[in-house]
Amino acid sequence: MLVFAVAVVTFAYANVGFGLNGKLPPGLGEYCGGLAVLVLIAHLAVRRLAPWADPLMLPLAALLNGLGIVMMYRLQEVGRNGNPGTLSVPMSATATTTQLLYSALGIAGFILVLLVIREPRMLQRYTYTLGAVGLVLIAIPALLPDSISEVPGTGAKIQIAAGGFTIQPEEFAKLALAVFFAGYLVAKRDVLALAGRRILGIDLPRARDLGPVLIAWGASLLMLFFESDIGTSALFFGLFVAVIYVATQRTSWLIIGVSLFVGGALAVSRLSSHVGQRFDAWLHPFAAGNPSGNAFQLVQGMYGMGFGGVLGRGLGGGQPYWTPLVQSDFVITAFGEEIGLTGLMALLIIYGLIVQRGLRAAILVRDPFAKLLAGGLAFTLALQVFVIVGGVTRLIPLTGITTPFLSQGGSSLVASWMMIALLMRISDTARRPPPQAIQDEGMTQVVKLR
Amino acid sequence: MNRALRRISLACLVMFVLLLINVNYLQGFDANSLASEPGNSRAFAQQFQYQRGSITTSDGVTVAESRPVKGSVYKYKRYYPDGPVYAPVTGYDSLYSATGIEQAEDKLLSGTDPTLTVRNLIDLITGKPQQGASVQLTINSRAQQAAYSALKSMGKSGAVVAMNPQTGAILALASYPSYNPNVYATLDGSQLDKADAKLRSEASQPLLNRAINATYPPGSTFKIVTSSTAFTHGYTDNSRVYAPTVLTLPDTTKTLINSDGEVCDGGGHVPLIDAFAQSCNTAFGYLGEHLGSAALKAQAQKYGFNDSKLTIPLAVSPSNYPLADGAALTAYSAIGQYSDTITPLQEAMLAATIANHGTLMKPYLVQAVKAADLTTVQQATPSVFAHPVSPGVASQVKNMMIQVVSNPIGTGYVIPGIHALHVAAKTGTAQNGSNNTGLNDAVFTAFAPYANPNIAIGVVIKGGGYGAAAAGPIAVQVIKAYQDYLERQ
Repeated sequence: MLVFAVAVVTFAYANVGFGLNGKLPPGLGEYCGGLAVLVLIAHLAVRRLAPWADPLMLPLAALLNGLGIVMMYRLQEVGRNGNPGTLSVPMSATATTTQLLYSALGIAGFILVLLVIREPRMLQRYTYTLGAVGLVLIAIPALLPDSISEVPGTGAKIQIAAGGFTIQPEEFAKLALAVFFAGYLVAKRDVLALAGRRILGIDLPRARDLGPVLIAWGASLLMLFFESDIGTSALFFGLFVAVIYVATQRTSWLIIGVSLFVGGALAVSRLSSHVGQRFDAWLHPFAAGNPSGNAFQLVQGMYGMGFGGVLGRGLGGGQPYWTPLVQSDFVITAFGEEIGLTGLMALLIIYGLIVQRGLRAAILVRDPFAKLLAGGLAFTLALQVFVIVGGVTRLIPLTGITTPFLSQGGSSLVASWMMIALLMRISDTARRPPPQAIQDEGMTQVVKLR
Repeated sequence: MNRALRRISLACLVMFVLLLINVNYLQGFDANSLASEPGNSRAFAQQFQYQRGSITTSDGVTVAESRPVKGSVYKYKRYYPDGPVYAPVTGYDSLYSATGIEQAEDKLLSGTDPTLTVRNLIDLITGKPQQGASVQLTINSRAQQAAYSALKSMGKSGAVVAMNPQTGAILALASYPSYNPNVYATLDGSQLDKADAKLRSEASQPLLNRAINATYPPGSTFKIVTSSTAFTHGYTDNSRVYAPTVLTLPDTTKTLINSDGEVCDGGGHVPLIDAFAQSCNTAFGYLGEHLGSAALKAQAQKYGFNDSKLTIPLAVSPSNYPLADGAALTAYSAIGQYSDTITPLQEAMLAATIANHGTLMKPYLVQAVKAADLTTVQQATPSVFAHPVSPGVASQVKNMMIQVVSNPIGTGYVIPGIHALHVAAKTGTAQNGSNNTGLNDAVFTAFAPYANPNIAIGVVIKGGGYGAAAAGPIAVQVIKAYQDYLERQ
């Protein structure tokens, strides 16, 4: 499977070279060899640290990561070596190498997680610590001045930029909060599920138990307001609602959660011009109904995807660089344009498979904390893909979040790899065979503790 | 908790299914309408990545083609070998937009038309580069060249349209002053903007296609319509009509005189055929007054006036005959003044109707469309546009038009070289402007040879003066060029 993943990536990379310059691209050995080595290290680590883990996850994640690197190379070559085009936000000539380095960091994070967290339960001990860490990570960019925290040209305050290096802390906050929610709700689920009254066939929780939900809701809306980042706040809130639903099995939480978020988002769209514009662009993207032209990026992305059609223009054959920020938020449109509907559906199915494998681990594992954590993480991944791909394809209003594994940038990549490690750790726990009962009654039974 | 997890799985499944449906819609179903969205520069730029089809005349002269370029983002560049001559027909195909046949037949030329899908697919499989279909025009290069050079040497703004009266195929469609479409073929966006702004700001309006999109007063050529109305209402070409030297119009103090105030064929009551040959305004004013504006309007509309829907496939501006209010204005309208306006194409259509025994064929510009493998994708089939007059009426009008040229009293008798070509014609000298200041517009409509007509022509020269003096010789040159071409075949 891994060999297959690396082969697909190598082929795609060679394709870019042929598409752009009619010859094999330079650096084929370096990039693809580098990726192969990284993937091999990860594989060996999994064999050693989590031998029972789901065998599909690593190859699928590696394939996405590799294709992301290929697309970085393709976009980096724009305007170089006689290739036409300019990017709205230029990429350095070493962007691909950087992305490969980030991948190495990601794999390192992946191995670190597998190494440190030998049992999912270990994390439960740090529930409140991680909750606090998560909130702080989210809050930092909002408190920092715009010059440090604003992503240039987008108005979203979600990063920490220092010395030419930027980190998007929310990517890691996502993981910390997933652990916090899971840990918190494992402890509180009985009281949330059982106490309360029944009105109109819906079990309503007690007013005081609503507290944490309201705090989470308030925090996500505040984030929305101060950081102008509707995508991530939707992600956090969706994560919270999903985990609380799994923990309590009560539909009322779903209804309360979803209606609170929709209501809050509508209110903020009135108050915040940034969010309001996104709604406007979503409803009237095309020039005739959109005199302000604020949907240029969205429309360019859609033109690109339409232009790609069913089979795509071939890697290196389209003009994805006409879409602003195509290397980050809109990377999926670049794939749509160059590998077409067929390729895009394959990508979506790969994401779907990872999510399904994660949920499967959640269902199999016995420990309730691990269940909640795996369910939450898998759902967050699904939601993230839905929000960004749905956003650029005008299914829902566009919100700028990263596409896991594919977008340019280290934070997202490392966090995604760490998430895969967590899911694999949980699936390893779930699939580990129970200790063999020793047949000879006379002997002392040895139970392996690790 | 597993039940809830299964429901969450279901929710994830729903999200992915929604995404899959949406990308299918976007890239499969909606792709075409996205491609035609104004402002989608991808679709437009794409056409310069492969060879767009050529445009040729009916006699095989290439008037637009894509040539490979080096050192550019794009692989091909449009080239118009005889730019200004054919510009009113071909139009241009620039980075951002297209006009003329380039626009009207864009999907075939660029190869994106659904009829070419199968061929494109075969090309894709066999590894041949995609290539657009080529368009063969009905234009005859000799007639077109003659028309443009005659207009150019005249030096005044005007247009010529010639068509085959039996089929409607347009043989020449020239407009002057013209522009060079090659300036639009540049692959440099800022250069293109500059060139476009310059042409748009020019007072002589080189971008205006006068042949089909400008209207002029028809003057005496409208007497063809008035005569047709009269014959349909019982008059014959020998009917005598009142033709005073000065016609006093009813209910006004205004009068109508002949072109130079001269006497019409000895005065009194003259046969229509003589009044037509001499183009007596008083006779036709009087006739129109009696026929009424409603009857004239009905007849004009049968010829194609007031029709805003005609496409050849370029959109043609309507020629106008509004209902005249009162006898005086009706008299003016009957001699092609008042608010009558006409496109040069409509002028040709008047002659074509008479030449084709009263049946007007629908004018068209595209003879055939051939795919890159030279198989025919489309072939024009002539179709009847209207039956403006009966064959009997047509033959009487024809007799009168022959008299214009062959009778020494006829207005077209003096045009050099016209007799050898057996031309039947009607001249027009239209007053225009307020109080008729400025020069008259010269108008001319004709067909030849009158025994078996193969060309009908309309010529308008703005400010050209007398129709016989300015427009007539241009028509003769075009007819001669076409007859010479046919003889050599």
